[in-house]
Amino acid sequence: MNFVLIFLIVIFSSSLFFYGKSKTKSISIERNIKLNALPKFYGYYLVLWSSIPALVFLLVWSLFEPVIIKSIIIETAANQGAIFNDKNEANLIYEKIKAIHLGTYFGDIDTILKESAISYSKFLNIFTNSKIVLIFVTIIASVIFSLKKIKNNNKAREDVEKILKGLLFVSSLIAILTTLGIIFSLLFESIKFFSVINIFDYLFGTNWSPQRAFIRDASAITAAEYDELRDAFGFVPLIAGTSFIAFIAMFVAVPIGLFSGIYMAEYASSKMRRISKPIIEILAGIPTVVYGFFAALTVGPFFRQIGESIGLTVSSESALAAGLIMGIMIIPYISSLSDDVINSVPQSLRDGSYAVGATKSETIKQVVIPAALPGIIGSVLLAVSRAIGETMIVVMAAGLAANLTINPLESTTTITTQIVMILVGDQEFDSPKTQSAFALGLTLFVATLILNYIAQRAVKKYREKYD
Amino acid sequence: MSEVKIKSNNLNVFYGDKQALFDVNLDLNEKEVTALIGPSGCGKSTFIRCINRMNDVIDICKVTGNIEIDGVEINDENLDVVSLRERVGMVFQKPNPFPKSIYDNISYGPKIHGKGETKSELDEIVERSLKKAALWEEVKDRLDEPGTGLSGGQQQRLCIARAISVNPEVILMDEPCSALDPIATAKIEELIDELKKTYTIVIVTHSMAQAVRVSQKTGFFHLGKLIEVGKTEKIFKNPDNKMTQDYITGRFG
Repeated sequence: MNFVLIFLIVIFSSSLFFYGKSKTKSISIERNIKLNALPKFYGYYLVLWSSIPALVFLLVWSLFEPVIIKSIIIETAANQGAIFNDKNEANLIYEKIKAIHLGTYFGDIDTILKESAISYSKFLNIFTNSKIVLIFVTIIASVIFSLKKIKNNNKAREDVEKILKGLLFVSSLIAILTTLGIIFSLLFESIKFFSVINIFDYLFGTNWSPQRAFIRDASAITAAEYDELRDAFGFVPLIAGTSFIAFIAMFVAVPIGLFSGIYMAEYASSKMRRISKPIIEILAGIPTVVYGFFAALTVGPFFRQIGESIGLTVSSESALAAGLIMGIMIIPYISSLSDDVINSVPQSLRDGSYAVGATKSETIKQVVIPAALPGIIGSVLLAVSRAIGETMIVVMAAGLAANLTINPLESTTTITTQIVMILVGDQEFDSPKTQSAFALGLTLFVATLILNYIAQRAVKKYREKYD
Repeated sequence: MSEVKIKSNNLNVFYGDKQALFDVNLDLNEKEVTALIGPSGCGKSTFIRCINRMNDVIDICKVTGNIEIDGVEINDENLDVVSLRERVGMVFQKPNPFPKSIYDNISYGPKIHGKGETKSELDEIVERSLKKAALWEEVKDRLDEPGTGLSGGQQQRLCIARAISVNPEVILMDEPCSALDPIATAKIEELIDELKKTYTIVIVTHSMAQAVRVSQKTGFFHLGKLIEVGKTEKIFKNPDNKMTQDYITGRFG
């Protein structure tokens, strides 16, 4: 229904474009006046004025309609003698009524429910009809208003610019508000978690075994029970595992990515570059789960075989395998971005260096790389955040056991993997186990934020600016 | 009459299929300023870029013929371009200081060539180069500030100081004042006058007035050919070639 309405509104207002354009042309000829803007701006003006108020009205209406209908229906049901003790039961009855209306309810239907369902469809009808009428009225009113403006030869150019500016503003507002919304939802759930688990026990605990907190009523936890839980939510093994795997990945990706970026930008012939750059970028297009296969089924066992042949115990799920594959996965980010950055260093700087007798590699090392450094660090940072956020490869190749270890041959786990583990399957949302996922998310978010901030400061300090 | 420092013999340059220089024979005298004039795209810059083999940087560029410095052929595959460029410095059209400190801009060349092993030796080279480029007084208190923060004219003098720092014999200048205002230009010209006591200088310029002011010898290029060369006075007062006459009087170009 709503989609049809939106479609009709858009079609109608788009067609007004041509009307506005020709109308203003004829006005300018009839009255022999100079228009304040090109005729097409009057067209845009009409389009915007006829569509935006109606669409906004539709949006607001759709937001409030269900709420209002619900409260009316629940009230009428109560008046008819339906009994419910709290909000949840009221909701249940409302859902039943809705299901009866849709014909998808298969339980017993008593008279109260039946009556309510009838009044529900009645109200639904009234609301839909009045919605259509009101939208119609809105469109007519706004078209009359804008036509009047156009006939008075208004400053359509300025008005259109203003409306467009407003639209862009609203878009960025939506982006910001959504981000804030996500942060706050993380924050509130985390606060619930930290009201049960002491934040210091969480931050400095060295043991992570959240399954121990399964099925436990968080609101009524006793001191004895808490003592038992105290060391179930230790964050240290997770951050250690995350940083460890990310470190292995960067150890692989930074040198290879950077060097291949330098080769592409400075040494490769244009033909070579044209062929090999897309090939490297294909690496970035491989789904991470495929990398996961590869790490778990090929690389992991391969390392174990090698380890066994030289007498080492290697777990088949190891930090080394996951980190290595993750490193290969992020090579294209570093190489492709640093290639672009190096390319954008002006040729005049290289010329200046050659002219005093520097060789190509001296020039690259001492002039080009320092000038491109902010961009290179940017690309490395992007790669680090990819490495920290990567989940699939770790799930498949590094294991789930939260070992606190620096042995790359043992299995380990990361923050993101644990979040997945905690939220997979049936959960009750008031258990500290489930809430700990949000705390982990928040910590990850804060850690990434701090990392970004430090890196930006570093870039600012060491950047060599060229114009 | 001073001695010939650089001698080009039937020099041809090609960019891909396009020939940019045709059989250029030009002698440049030691400790003298030679100005190269001519309309845009006539091959002046291409010519001076042959003297320090900067054309090597361009893949599609091919150079045939001979260029000798002090009687030694430099257009030779086996020649070490690093030591050639140590002897032949270059200043570009647009000031191109490195995005490093003023000090590092000057010490860059000497470090590469292994000159100035101790800090005090390097300090001395930096000071001497900046003094020669008449920039020392303006920057001596802020040597650790970025070279890109200087004004355009100062940046160009910094680039001259950078070229001087490795103690070259020849300095090539490719329209060094085209991006500068008249006051900065006057300073650079003054500097060129001073520098010619020590160095052989080749300057490409679009300004006839500048050629007259700074050079002793002038060569006129047109469409990749050297049309006429001679003492600056003669070229500007009484040129042999009709085309030169037309160009310097502003009838074309």
